[in-house]
Amino acid sequence: MARKMLIDGELEKHSEEETRYDFDLFVIGAGSGGVRASRFSAQYGAKVGICELPFHPISTEVIGGVGGTCVIRGCVPKKILVYGATFGSELEDARSYGWELNEKIDFNWKKLLHKKTEEIVRLNGIYKRLLSNAGVKLFEGEGKVVGPNEVEVIQLDGTKISYSAKHILIATGSRAQRPSIPGQELAITSDEALSLEELPKRAVILGGGYIAVEFASIWRGMGATVDLCFRKELPLRGFDDEMRAVVARTLEGRGITMHPGTTLTELVKTEDGIKVRTNHGEELLADVVLFATGRAPNTKRLNLEAVGVELDKTGAVKVDEYSRTNLPSIWAIGDVTNRMNLTPVALMEGTCFAKTVFGGQPSKPDYSNVPCAVFCIPPLSVVGLSEEQAIEQANGDVLAFTSTFNPMKNTISGRQEKTVMKLVVDGETDKVLGASMCGPDAAEIMQGIAVALKCGATKAQFDSTVSGPTFQSLCSSLCFSAFISFFTCL
Amino acid sequence: MAASLGNSSPTLQILCKKCKFPINPFFSFSHYNKSHNLDSFSSFSHPLTRSYCRRSTIRADSTNAVEPPRKYDFDLFTIGAGSGGVRASRFAANLGASVAICELPFATVSSDSTGGVGGTCVLRGCVPKKLLVYASKYSHEFEESCGFGWKYAAEPEHDWSTLIANKNAEIQRLTGIYKSTLKNAGVELIGGRGKIVDPHTVDVDGKLYSAKNILISVGGRPFIPDIPGSEYVIDSDAALDLPSKPKKIAIVGGGYIAVEFAGIFNGLKSDVHVFIRQKTVLRGFDEEIRDFVGEQMLLRGIEIHTEQSPQAIIKSSDGSLSLKTNKGTIDGFSHIMFATGRKPNTKNLGLESVGVKLKENGAIEVDEYSQTSVPSIWAVGDVTDRINLTPVALMEGGALAKTLFANKPTKPEYRAVPSAVFSQPPIGQVGLTEEQAIKEYGDVDVYTANFRPLKATLSGLPDRIFMKLIACAKTDKVLGLHICGEDSPEIMQGFAVAVKAGLTKADFDATVGIHPTAAEELVTMRTPTRKLRRTPSEGKTDSEFKAAAGV
Repeated sequence: MARKMLIDGELEKHSEEETRYDFDLFVIGAGSGGVRASRFSAQYGAKVGICELPFHPISTEVIGGVGGTCVIRGCVPKKILVYGATFGSELEDARSYGWELNEKIDFNWKKLLHKKTEEIVRLNGIYKRLLSNAGVKLFEGEGKVVGPNEVEVIQLDGTKISYSAKHILIATGSRAQRPSIPGQELAITSDEALSLEELPKRAVILGGGYIAVEFASIWRGMGATVDLCFRKELPLRGFDDEMRAVVARTLEGRGITMHPGTTLTELVKTEDGIKVRTNHGEELLADVVLFATGRAPNTKRLNLEAVGVELDKTGAVKVDEYSRTNLPSIWAIGDVTNRMNLTPVALMEGTCFAKTVFGGQPSKPDYSNVPCAVFCIPPLSVVGLSEEQAIEQANGDVLAFTSTFNPMKNTISGRQEKTVMKLVVDGETDKVLGASMCGPDAAEIMQGIAVALKCGATKAQFDSTVSGPTFQSLCSSLCFSAFISFFTCL
Repeated sequence: MAASLGNSSPTLQILCKKCKFPINPFFSFSHYNKSHNLDSFSSFSHPLTRSYCRRSTIRADSTNAVEPPRKYDFDLFTIGAGSGGVRASRFAANLGASVAICELPFATVSSDSTGGVGGTCVLRGCVPKKLLVYASKYSHEFEESCGFGWKYAAEPEHDWSTLIANKNAEIQRLTGIYKSTLKNAGVELIGGRGKIVDPHTVDVDGKLYSAKNILISVGGRPFIPDIPGSEYVIDSDAALDLPSKPKKIAIVGGGYIAVEFAGIFNGLKSDVHVFIRQKTVLRGFDEEIRDFVGEQMLLRGIEIHTEQSPQAIIKSSDGSLSLKTNKGTIDGFSHIMFATGRKPNTKNLGLESVGVKLKENGAIEVDEYSQTSVPSIWAVGDVTDRINLTPVALMEGGALAKTLFANKPTKPEYRAVPSAVFSQPPIGQVGLTEEQAIKEYGDVDVYTANFRPLKATLSGLPDRIFMKLIACAKTDKVLGLHICGEDSPEIMQGFAVAVKAGLTKADFDATVGIHPTAAEELVTMRTPTRKLRRTPSEGKTDSEFKAAAGV
């Protein structure tokens, strides 16, 4: 309460200026970044409006939904499908632990899909409630920037309303792109992949990024045959090379067919499914072809160029360190700026924006040591530098510690899959520059490691942590964490 | 060390800008190991006697022969090849010492005459327990999977004998690995019961061995109170190797072993009743965690009988067992398990006769360097009853090897030791409980989160996760972290490093989350659930509750 009064007092000082606008802030796009920025700004006392397209699991220029990519067609539904798919291998393993299961266990895709949609509708509702509880006014419709301080919302019935705002924030995110090859219309993107009517029996995926490997794991876990085609030698460009090889190996071990150095040249519809032709002249048959070949910022219909907001060559909104565009009253956060396209980063940018503009504390988002996870099965999670980046950036020697071990659970299930962990350390300062892990629960484990890295923890500090008797490691003492045994082993 | 296990391959590489060349720090000691084979002369008739003199010339840097050294068979003789003993022995050997270790013959159930290389952890503790936890968790996963579209034609049945056979095959394999680990390190393994004869002599089944230092690492064993009918009771050793699965089991005790076994048998569809003396399980843990895990156990079908002390066990004519407590009698148990504590294995070791001081509970008294009241005799692990965890025994063993053979007196560090309870759901914790933090620091901020994880919203099961972060109000340092829910031990593993490093709540806040995970909740806790302040007048702590902001 005390906080509110303080802000009110502050606002009064500028009251003359404030009254000139309908809103202190108008946000276009109610995804992770937009909702965070709106709510936090409102909590600082700002009068906030936000607009968003009508809800639909599959996005277009004119449909979207409160919650944005993360909630409706990204992290959340993806993770739900990953959970669903992980049970596939779990059930196999259960037999060695004494469970008597039928030879074939039914998997009902439609049921999972239905429950997934239910969940994202529920979350969509929660997000709307969060906004209204924070006092943010939500408009349904397509937002356009018509002036440095003016936004136009085209409502569902086609009527247009204009609002003036002291600040405009663009948080419209991005959408999946399709390569232009013959027959490309036969393929789907991740939006549709999360809402398929039928579970494919044969899937071909083009792309080597995290979306590609995640869907490969999802469909494989549910029993489909999966062909993964990517241009490079290994999937997951930009990650640590050694870990990329580990992921490639484990995906292959789980039955995904890898096609490195491969692009698709043509898709043809046949009686028997979609015929996929590769640049090597190979032909594959598929029920579903997924393009996971990148995403593009949603800037086309925002009227930004006309107002004079600069875009980069990918179409992303250009911003400074405080997320401000070249027009002082217009700001942008999240995937539409194409900085680091992760939900928690958009949240951080949204928080910093609110602090900077309405909290009286200019705050720059800090992009160092941002952890992330790829939810392939098993997952990969990383924080900090890859070995390659470390070698490039370090002045002196770089130490790389890796540990490869068989998780305890596999000893009885007989699953042939190693967990790999890696630490990249500055030889001079002993500072841990990067950590990565590929194995069960990697994402949960890496979060705490990220805190340590963020604070410049040294390898010695890692070593001095005695582990509790945790998870699967069969390394050394057999009953404590892989990570720690691995630290203390070396 | 992991490398020598064969299934693990740690490598250390120094990467220069242009060249890569591997270095293994332990292999750099390999020339010492080789000298084990140079049996120059023997002062005893033992076939593998090594010369201390010879060794001291090799390691002139670390063992300065100021006084003319007495000749011993070994630099170190370890009694007990469990986690601590094996670690100390191997590290000592890696540092150039000549080392022998003795251990009782292998058996799944321990006694005064049975044990086995690997010790409690590998044979009848952490490892078999965790394997049974894995097995029992599946029933919950089957339930969960139904919410994700998986369907079973028939209810999955569990075959206990398959599990136990696979478990035993695995611990046999591990005891083999431990043996070869010792062998590869050049440690001589002697089968039999070790007994101390004098400060430098150990008797193993009638054969005498002399050693400059003796290490006692014989661990502990379950303790069952002497009440009428206690002969019908099983302990955790037996529970891990039962011929058949209990139909209905009473578990007496509220400690971690009791709740872990409750979870195991409940998951395998036994009817489980837990009897505890207190109102909640897990005395010594954070109070809120105790309440939370108790509730979750109830939701999974475990019956907890509170404030009951066992008085007698009665066997009826049909073979079933009844448990009589201060509150009444419950009948029809196929098994009654006592998880009522463990006692150090210090009987018949000859300790009293050489003057090694014991504590009241029979544990060996040691100083910060694990040295007993007899300077040449040392002790690590559960037998010293400090913190009875495998990784702590490993730390103590490693520290001892450094102290004795690397010229680096090293104290084990017991601050912020993380630990886990593999209850279902499991618990992970590091640092102080809220109660301890208030006592020690007075003014603390407590952040809590109690939520339904994404998986549970789909499965429809009543699973929740509880997290608690305790920060010092003055310094902002994170004093304790407690989690109960799926993946808690894994989540804690990473955060233990951060807590150990003395990081602040602000450091946690500055870290970006990994989305979507449960762990990200710990870096997004913005508003304290309560701020506890010592009121200066009374010296008591006041609790100021704040409505959770929910934002």
